[in-house]
Formats: sequence, structure tokens, C-alpha cells
Amino acid sequence: SQGIIERDETPMEKEIARLHRVDFEFSDIFYFCRKGFEAIVEDEVTQRFSSEELVSWNLLTRTNVNFHYISLRLSIVWGIGVIVRYCFLLPLRFTLAAIGITSMIVGTTMVGQLPNSSVKNYLSEVVHLTCSRILVRALSGTIHYHNKENKPQKGGICVANHTSPIDAIILTNDGCYAMVGQVHGGLMGVIQRAAVKACPHVWFERSEMKDRLLVTKRLREHVADKSKLPILIFPEGTCINNTSVMMFKKGSFEIGGTIYPVAIKYDPQFGDAFWNSSKYNIVSYLLRIMTSWAIVCNVWYMPPMVRKEGEDAVQFANRVRSVIARQGGLTELPWDGGLKRAKVKDTFKEEQQKNYSKMLVRNGSVG
Amino acid sequence: PRELTPPSPLSFPSTVTSEQIEHLHRRFKQLSRDQLTIRKENFDSIPDLEFNPIRGKIVHAFFDKRNLRQESDGLADEINFEDFLTIMSYFRPIEMNMDEEQLDRFRKEKLKFLFHMYDSDHDGKITLQEYRNVVEELLSGNPHLEKESARSIADGAMMEAASICVGQMGPDQVYEGITFEDFLKMWQGIDIETKMHVRFLNMDTIAHCY
Repeated sequence: SQGIIERDETPMEKEIARLHRVDFEFSDIFYFCRKGFEAIVEDEVTQRFSSEELVSWNLLTRTNVNFHYISLRLSIVWGIGVIVRYCFLLPLRFTLAAIGITSMIVGTTMVGQLPNSSVKNYLSEVVHLTCSRILVRALSGTIHYHNKENKPQKGGICVANHTSPIDAIILTNDGCYAMVGQVHGGLMGVIQRAAVKACPHVWFERSEMKDRLLVTKRLREHVADKSKLPILIFPEGTCINNTSVMMFKKGSFEIGGTIYPVAIKYDPQFGDAFWNSSKYNIVSYLLRIMTSWAIVCNVWYMPPMVRKEGEDAVQFANRVRSVIARQGGLTELPWDGGLKRAKVKDTFKEEQQKNYSKMLVRNGSVG
Repeated sequence: PRELTPPSPLSFPSTVTSEQIEHLHRRFKQLSRDQLTIRKENFDSIPDLEFNPIRGKIVHAFFDKRNLRQESDGLADEINFEDFLTIMSYFRPIEMNMDEEQLDRFRKEKLKFLFHMYDSDHDGKITLQEYRNVVEELLSGNPHLEKESARSIADGAMMEAASICVGQMGPDQVYEGITFEDFLKMWQGIDIETKMHVRFLNMDTIAHCY
């Protein structure tokens, strides 16, 4: 049967092991309390990588699994919706997207020909912003930016929660950032290579990504240069369904510099922005996005944060994560987004069961 | 001293949908085996709960009359669906449109719930012994850890709590226990709202993690 709540998937063994290292606090009870409640509300392992619940149907088939046939009128309205979305909105959006991408490639290539100067930087900004805006229109995006006074400055690092590949476009719609990522092939690769001519994005080859020191070094160099654009990083490392913020990889927080946290929250009523990469590939994802009603989201810029004395990268990462979760109304979950692709090992569970049964047998009774 | 009865949970602004309540009701019926009430024994049928070291305290929390917002004290023998929902309401997530006062009340409710979990004899104070009990339970999963270590951890934590709540104590002063006000003081500045809630998922087709 289907799951109904978001689960905390940290294996209990790991949490118990942490307790044994004797850094025990009053707050440790939270974890077990919560696990207990989850177990009581439902038994089975739920996937938090499915999309957020809607209170009322928004006329998209993809969200109507729990809704039953109600009336002929509603079905007709839905039918009209389908026609509008697929025959009218989709071609329009597709055209806009094509224009946006082409302008981006052409524009950045042209600007890239210029010698390095402030004129080049200015033009590069203009090109990036314009193309970003075209692309956002192509998705019928309505974005509300809050607290613009906290917008990321040059030489800083912008950190945000990750829900979909379009997060980057949402942010670049309002400012210019240096992107960080792997070099891809295909159309994406073309865009990347063109963009980096105009503005110093940081692209890594796949092999280089594995070398953490190299990555950190390059990012540090970029940040140290105060004339360079702020770096945009998504520390969760994978797309989450926008109801929670998962563990931040500490690498981003070891670079130093000022961190500008940003919270992005999509309104699921108009269209689900979450990319479940294990369920859909990028093309079908984009198709879904382009046949939704709109992408509506809120972006909150938060005041800059720096690492405190005596705070290590992990603590700093958690601090930033709390701030983002709080602002976006998202749950904080202490586990790794990497578990999206791998199940908690069965051997762990068996070990755990053995331990506990030993304990139970020894003590005689349960609870 | 008696506390004022807080307002009923249904007066909080709520985004729990009727569907979620339906699901919880189905779950309730499953646990109660189609009876109208649940008893402690019904929680034995939950395999995931078996591995939880503070299982006892969690189940106890459901029957604790203080959590059920009843006038009387002590433990209930059985709870009905409304009581079940009352307890679940302690784990509601924050809503975006809450103002300062509501947030504060929300936080207090959750901390109260936690306080009751520690204060097993219902006297309004967490004594050293009660705290030791909790630590021992939490660490009970480790067969190698001696009781002594668990004790010293508890003692250390209580001393720290005392220093936060009472400040410097004279050599003759005895710290009786942590009252709820002291408990609140200890949590000042620490964000619990994002750690102590359970959020409902969409009922859409569930994708698997592969």
C-alpha cells in the first residue's frame, strides 16, 4: 500500500553508534521520538521522493491518482484544460525556449570574442539575464523574490535547496552567478562551452569531480577573486521534492568566504517542479513542466553567513540548512540525498535486529 | 502548581486535510483491530517500533493524560481516535502563515510533550533519577556500555542543566529537578520546530529508490 508520511531514513544503528561516542544531549531523544511516531503512523518505508500533496485537484492528470470521477462537467473542464495545455501552451513555450537557448548560445559566443574588460562583463550580464528571462517565460514562471537586499554579492557563495534543474534558471533570472558543475555532452555541453567564454563559470570534467581537493582549490581561487561573480551551489547534491531539506555536503562549506543562503519553495498547485530522476528522464520532465499550468515559486534571499570560530564545516552546513529550512517551511532531514539511488542495506537491518533481539531476550520483557 | 489548560488542538490553525484524517483513521482501525479504542498492547503489533530504544516512553506518551489534555492526571487505559489525533497534533509541521505568538505557543506545546516524556512520575520536575532512566533507555542498544557510563553521562548533563537554570549553586544546595520553565530556558535559541514534526506526503504513485 502507499505511504502517507515523510520518513526519516537515517538507520537507527547509525544514530545509536553516535550516542555511544558519548556526546549525548537532551535533544537526542528527538530522533527516536520521531522514528517512533513514524512507525506508529505507518509501517512501510515511504518514499519522500514523491511529490507533495495537493489539497484540491489542479486539473493535471498526473496529480489525480486519489481523486475519483466526480462529474461529467469536471471531466469536460479537464479535457479543455488538456487541449489548452498541449495544443496552445506547449508549442508557445517550446518556441520561446528554443529562442532562449539559441540566443544564449549565440549571445555568449559573440560576447566571448571580446577581450576581457568591463564592457565584456556588462554585456555578458545582459546576455545572461535576458536569456534567463526568456527561458523563465518559456516555463510560464512567476517568481516572487523576497528580501532582495540580501542578494548574493561578488566573491560570495550562493547556497540553495535543490528541487529541479530549473532552480538555476529561477535564480539567474534575478542576478548573475557563476555556475559550478560537470561538463555534459549534447546540447547542454554546447550551452556550457558557449557560456564559459563570456563569463567565468566553473565546469569540471567528470574525472576532475572525483578529486575533491582539486575542486575545492578551484572554487577557492574563484571566490578569492572579488571581481568574479558569486558561485551558485546546491549542496544537497540531488533533487528533493521540496518538502524537506536534506543533508548538505560539507564540501561547499569548506571553501571559505561568505555564504548567502537562498530558500526556494515552489507552489505545487500550478505545477509540480520536482524532478524525480529515477522515474523520469530530463526530456519527459521538461515536457511535464511545459504542459503544467505555470511554475510559481517564492525565493527568499537570506542575510550572509560566515563560519564561526571553532565551528567545523559540518556544523556550519547544518546551521545554514536550518536557516533555509525555516524560511521555506521545509522539514530538516539528517540523511543523505544519495540514498535516493541506493536502499539502506538489508545487512544493516539484520544486524540491528540481531542486536536488539539479544537485548530483548536478555532483559526478558519488551518496553 | 497546576497549569492552565491549554486550548484544544482543533483551535490551532490547521492544514490537516480530511484525507489525512481518513488515512490516520484507517491506521487507527488497523492498530485497534476494528475496535473503538486502543490499548497499550495494540502497539505491540508494530514491527518498526520494536527496535526503538525508547519504545516504552513513546507508547506511554499516547496514554499520558497530560498529553491528552484531560483534567485528571495519570495514565489512561485506552484511547479513542480523537485522543490519537490529539497526540499526533504534537508533531504537526510549522505553517508558513503563523505569527510570533502562534509559533511560540506551538513550540511550547512540543517542548511540553518532550518534558512529559522525561518526567515519568508526573510531578512536574525532571529529577536526576528520571533523567538517568532516559539515558539508560537510549543507550540500551549497546550491550557493551556499562551502567556506570550511562550514569555519569546523565549526571554530567544534569549538572549542566543546573548551571543553566540556577547558576552557581552553594555547596549545600540541592538541585531538585528541572521544572518546565527551566526546561524552556534550556531550549532557548535552539530550533526544534524543524526537527520535531512529521509531514504528510502526496498520495501520488510512489516511485522507488532505484
